[in-house]
Amino acid sequence: LAGAGAERPQVVSHVQQELNYTVFDCKWVPRSARLLCLGSAARGTGLVQLYELHGARLELLREIEKSKPIKCGTFGATSLQQRYLATGDFDGNLNIWNLEAPEIPVYSVKGHKEIINSIDGVGGLGIGEGAPEIVTGSRDGTVKVWDPRQKDTPVANMEPVQGESKRDCWTVAFGNAYNQEERVVCAGYDNGDIKLFDLKTMSLRWETNIKNGVCSVEFDRKDINMNKLVATTLEGKFHVFDMRTQHPTKGFASVSEKAQKSTIWQVRHLPQNRDVFMTSGGSGSLHLWKYEYPAQRSKKDSEGSEMGVAGSVSLLQNVTLSTQPISSLDWSPDKKGLCVCGAFDQTVRVLIVTKLNKI
Amino acid sequence: MPVWLRERSWRQTLSAVYLSLPLRGARATPGSIFCSEQYLKVSIPPFLFEAILFAPIDDTNSTAKIGNGNIFFTLYKKEPAMWDSLTLANADKEKLQYLRENAVLKAHEKAKEETEAKKITKQEHKNYALEATMKLEEAERKRIEDLKEKERQKVAKELELWKNQQKDADEYKSIQKRGELHQEIEPLKERKKETKNKTRIPNEGTSKTKLKTTKGCHGSCSMFSQNLKEEQLPAPRSAATIKVNFTPRVFPTALRESRIAEEEEWLHKQAEAQRVINSDLSELEDLKEDEKNPDWLKDKGNKMFAMGNYLGAVNAYNLAVRLNNKLPLLYLNRAACHLKLRNLHKAVEDSSKALELLTPPVPDNENARVKAHVRRGTAFCQLELYTEGLQDYEAALKINPKNKNIEKDAEKIRHLIQGTVQSS
Repeated sequence: LAGAGAERPQVVSHVQQELNYTVFDCKWVPRSARLLCLGSAARGTGLVQLYELHGARLELLREIEKSKPIKCGTFGATSLQQRYLATGDFDGNLNIWNLEAPEIPVYSVKGHKEIINSIDGVGGLGIGEGAPEIVTGSRDGTVKVWDPRQKDTPVANMEPVQGESKRDCWTVAFGNAYNQEERVVCAGYDNGDIKLFDLKTMSLRWETNIKNGVCSVEFDRKDINMNKLVATTLEGKFHVFDMRTQHPTKGFASVSEKAQKSTIWQVRHLPQNRDVFMTSGGSGSLHLWKYEYPAQRSKKDSEGSEMGVAGSVSLLQNVTLSTQPISSLDWSPDKKGLCVCGAFDQTVRVLIVTKLNKI
Repeated sequence: MPVWLRERSWRQTLSAVYLSLPLRGARATPGSIFCSEQYLKVSIPPFLFEAILFAPIDDTNSTAKIGNGNIFFTLYKKEPAMWDSLTLANADKEKLQYLRENAVLKAHEKAKEETEAKKITKQEHKNYALEATMKLEEAERKRIEDLKEKERQKVAKELELWKNQQKDADEYKSIQKRGELHQEIEPLKERKKETKNKTRIPNEGTSKTKLKTTKGCHGSCSMFSQNLKEEQLPAPRSAATIKVNFTPRVFPTALRESRIAEEEEWLHKQAEAQRVINSDLSELEDLKEDEKNPDWLKDKGNKMFAMGNYLGAVNAYNLAVRLNNKLPLLYLNRAACHLKLRNLHKAVEDSSKALELLTPPVPDNENARVKAHVRRGTAFCQLELYTEGLQDYEAALKINPKNKNIEKDAEKIRHLIQGTVQSS
């Protein structure tokens, strides 16, 4: 599959950096060649490290230590000038940090009773319109949306009905933020539930169950009318939903693919091409996929209501980088093909995917 | 007795002997010729020719040509000398024998050596082939590596370029920002200066206020620019909560939570229960075949219950229990009868026994468990033990939350309890 001379995209490993702590999330700092690694040190404290890409190596610019291990972070809700980092930690705290002055957070709230598994931000970085908002999903089964201008209380709270047993929320993602009012949050849970919450009408817009625990969900673009949603699960499967047409009973059409034998930890769409995405697996491998649209994206069913037609997914390239799961993945929004991934073997790798222009 | 071939003709030179042997119709193959240094034998049964040569020859280089009804030997002498005759004249039997054996031995050794030599050459050839293929593969790999390396370098260069671009862009932006800020501050500063001059505050005051104003200026400047931005953003959303339900656990659940083990246990238990027959044969001898079958008795009991004959139903169930005391449904149904008969304590007992037998709790025996809880709850309530009753109702609700009747009854009991608490 990995023919060197062929016209397929190649995944070139550019830099490999050994760390002495467990890295849970890695993110590019927008508009720069710097990246952040977030994780947990052996003594149970949280670490944020800022690296800069220098030729063939990473140079550590700054290291920030916090009291609780950090699980996830995002730049999605901050402006390009400020570039504040929002993090969720193992204790359920949501903090927003100014990396130039990281002693005291710009915003802090104990949002959840248990670890915040996933975080996403929208409305910042000059992308899209509307208020900047951050969504967090936690093991306590709730999904909360925060506005950095409102202290202490979330602007939206998706919680289980009283008395119901809760399921861990493993992943959250914003989408459909194409104007000032519209916004949706998609949440994936450990029992295979996927729920789509509409924040404009404050209601549950769609839910489904894909049998295996949902590790990662992402819309192909946050700031457009929702187009595609990819959800990855345990046991190596992922589903691509066509979000343009919602059928009243059948919901959204989807195509699913079983890629690897192990859990697919992350899916990330290429910021420069929304039909290309990369999945990272529990076996330490990365797969690059391309989605092809069907000839007709919607058709009428027997009763005359519109239903979507799912397309197909083809594998462009795959590469195995590690023996441990690659738990985090981020494309650089500024340089096409540049991405960083962090694995549980305490290594962070900067990769370059070539020939993406030819797809 | 072999037929000796005696006719032969030969001639010689200094270095070689040419021997021609007519075969008289016999067909010769290479296998029929045996030659060693001083011994030559041709054996084509029944024909036989042998010769003890005058002097040793070089048997490896000598040749024999078979054709035209005869064999033509070209024997190269070891020592170039003219032979008196082809064969040794005075060869006695022993010498002959000795020579023959020697010859055979020598031939064997030679054969062995040859095979050895062959093996060695074969091995060498193999090694050579292996090395050649390895070299080829190495070359291929290197080629791929080189391609990859080139890609990497190209890409690294592009990255450096882009990075430098970024740095420049950043610097440019920061310069711009500073410029803008200055521009904003300038008119404000001038305005402040004017006001100060107008108010005529003493010098100290002026310096203090000057400092204050510049600080305040900076603060207001940044706030100024930020205010503009905030006006463009919509206000924070009004807080709201969305309640969610999770997909109920249906067997098989998300595989990690599979209840397979428990289900298996339950099925096993049921199978065992069916087989148990704790019968006391002496008493039951006069019963009909049907009446010895607990299931048949259970059906009978159910029918009688449906018709309102509660005592009869109880009797049927009693007999069934005597036959097989491991079937939970018998106790369950008997409990219902006791409820109707207002034997409340017995109803509680039977429901409890049924619940005991309905372990492990699996979706299969959900309905039965719900019924058991409800019946026991009812019995408790009728005994005015409302708290225990409520506990049972809540347990039933937990198993089957969708049952409206149970909910209503549970509500009623709660009210009752609250009523009694208030009054007391």
